[in-house]
Amino acid sequence: MRDVYISGAAAVSALGFDWRGMGAAVLAGAPGFSASRQLLDTHGTVLGAQVPVIPVQIDVDARSRKLMSHPARLAAVALRLALHGAAWPQQVREEIALYLGVGASGCAMDELNRMLAESIAEREFSQERFGSAGLAACNPLFAFQLMNNFTLCHGAILNGTGGANGAFFSRGTGTVAALAEARWHIAAGECARALAGGADSAMHPVTWAQLVRDGYPARGYIPGEGAGVLALSADAGGALARLEKIAFHSARAYAQAPLRLTGEELADAASDDLIVLAPWGSSARERLHGALEGTRARVVDASIVFGDALAAAPALAWCAALDLLQQGQWRRAFVLSAGIDGGIGLAVLGHVP
Amino acid sequence: MTRAVTRAVITGAGAVSAFGVGLRKLFDGLVAGGSRIAPIHSFDAATFETKVACEVDVGVITPAWLQGHMGTSGPLLHQLQLAGAWRDRKCGFGLLAAVEAWRMAGCGAGEREASLVMALGLEQGFMDDFAPYFHDGQIDWQEEAADAGRAIRFRSDVDLCALIVGEVLQLDGPVVVNASACAAGGLALAHAASLIERGAADIVLCGGADSMVNPFGLGGMSRLGAPSPRAQQDACRPFDRRRDGLVIGEGAAMFVLESEERAARRGARVLARVLGYGSTQDAYRVTAPRPDGAAAQRAMQLALARARLDASGIGYINAHGTGTPLNDVAEARAIRGAFGFHADTLPVSSIKGAIGHLMAASGAIEAAACLLPFERGILPGTANHLEKDAQCEVAVIGETAREARVDAVLSNSFGFGGQNVSLILGRPC
Repeated sequence: MRDVYISGAAAVSALGFDWRGMGAAVLAGAPGFSASRQLLDTHGTVLGAQVPVIPVQIDVDARSRKLMSHPARLAAVALRLALHGAAWPQQVREEIALYLGVGASGCAMDELNRMLAESIAEREFSQERFGSAGLAACNPLFAFQLMNNFTLCHGAILNGTGGANGAFFSRGTGTVAALAEARWHIAAGECARALAGGADSAMHPVTWAQLVRDGYPARGYIPGEGAGVLALSADAGGALARLEKIAFHSARAYAQAPLRLTGEELADAASDDLIVLAPWGSSARERLHGALEGTRARVVDASIVFGDALAAAPALAWCAALDLLQQGQWRRAFVLSAGIDGGIGLAVLGHVP
Repeated sequence: MTRAVTRAVITGAGAVSAFGVGLRKLFDGLVAGGSRIAPIHSFDAATFETKVACEVDVGVITPAWLQGHMGTSGPLLHQLQLAGAWRDRKCGFGLLAAVEAWRMAGCGAGEREASLVMALGLEQGFMDDFAPYFHDGQIDWQEEAADAGRAIRFRSDVDLCALIVGEVLQLDGPVVVNASACAAGGLALAHAASLIERGAADIVLCGGADSMVNPFGLGGMSRLGAPSPRAQQDACRPFDRRRDGLVIGEGAAMFVLESEERAARRGARVLARVLGYGSTQDAYRVTAPRPDGAAAQRAMQLALARARLDASGIGYINAHGTGTPLNDVAEARAIRGAFGFHADTLPVSSIKGAIGHLMAASGAIEAAACLLPFERGILPGTANHLEKDAQCEVAVIGETAREARVDAVLSNSFGFGGQNVSLILGRPC
């Protein structure tokens, strides 16, 4: 098996559109929260880690945007930036593998409202009206905003990546599984280049309503959003870091053996190592911090800056860890992500030998 | 390309389709031929553009229905009922298929470290849940949040079915949910086989479950113009000159994959070997497959290379064959590109005319159909394929299933958005 290197990275986050500087912000522990633009009309002022307005020069075109969910747009921009950062030749794009952790669906609310307006009368939903008029009220291509895999596909189409691919639903560990799959493709010689990451938003009104109903904000949940992408290859020349290890455990296994991760995966974390946490929700945060008691490594929490960015959370943390590793102060960065389902994932980044 | 040392084999399979619950029902239905396309009965679709589907014969999924097929009972099924889990039909179908596969493979407590790789479709939107809070053209979210008494779910969880399967079978291994639309089922099997080959897992329960036979799912697909506009039993006519769209199906197929060595060690019967797989992306358009089929062709060629087979080594192709005007032409071109003159005689069929398009589960149910040649020496036919299309230059098996002995079969799955995967299964040694 070949070593796998990180040849480029990209992040679309509350801090903007550059992965550099993310580590310093995490180290400083300075929250970058502001009132969510997406939630203002539906839920009033909700503080979150939202992506700034995307500059037109890196944004996708207006026609494509109409077919996209917000996370798909973030992913497409991040993929474009990652390919630019890796500086891979245009002619190899057809061979580039692409694996992404993606979240739940998120359509434009005006589409949904138009559909509901034609389907609801006197507070009663009419299936008959939905079939005869509700569906006709929305954009015919509305379904493309809803399909989870289009968070990956829009980006692949716009950026021309044609290799092996897969969209994994993620509550945190799915994004780690995406990185594991991309890494294996490089390590096994299945392809020369791969992109892996995650994109999501907790600020879609329906998503936020469900999080509120489930009591997350009351337990300290700060909604986040973004997209993070690593560009992987077997080429050490000019690489930013080496991707040393990936592991993930299921919710059931972790619930039964909460210290398993620290025992098996973090046993050799030393004082010159860094641990970057990407928890999703307060219970995951508490469990991670609890499991790390006694570690000699420096521990920082990326969610303090990026909020709980769902499927994007691990990928944003990888980018922050990469930035910190570049500073030269730490030997390795262990990025631990955990979801509300209790699943847990680990990616270990090290310096290029 | 790295040559795999360890080969994954299938030692258990389960299926739920419009032919009924169980792999045997799927096999019997495919052998008998005919189409299960019928008027939708699980909800009133009278005003919908699409009025037919291939449904599993159950109106509302209940714990009693599940117990009747599983042969076991337990409080969990009732707890899940209270939580509304069975409103999302794919959860019930996926569970039944998983339990059947698990039992067929003879798995039990010794296999609880199994990984779970599941292809699951879109979460289901429950439009009626919005109604009480919809005023003046928008949802009143404050009112919704204050109404704590209602059991509201605006949408189901994407991974709910996988969580249920893991809980019922007490699986402790890593869980991956593939959300790659119509390619997801095939990708899940490919991923599972890869985990076995690379030594990342000893045993994997994998497959897919989906149902878009609900107002939102069916309506969304109708708006795309993908389903046939005709409410007739031959609404889906794969590779037929008169084809005009797909028919939505529902169901699930699950498999137990493990290494040949492990299967031999525990005396498990092998149903098939996973010889190869390959995936690509069209990177073409959101709304259409790549018309030259080049990326799909590359997926087949990658699968052949991994299987160390040339074109002559494949005895049957189970096509994606949606029955849409664009897909079938592109797929036929891809097959011809990958198989050259062998495509003149290589038998190709699509089972979507019989059981519809199972969306995220389509690659899984079609992999189950690919066991039929090995189990019964029969190649499935193509229901509703009556008139050859000159643009689809492949040797389509007509409506009648065909007896044949083949050693390797290839199954294609192509997703909305351009995701392609090809799988090659081989006869057990």
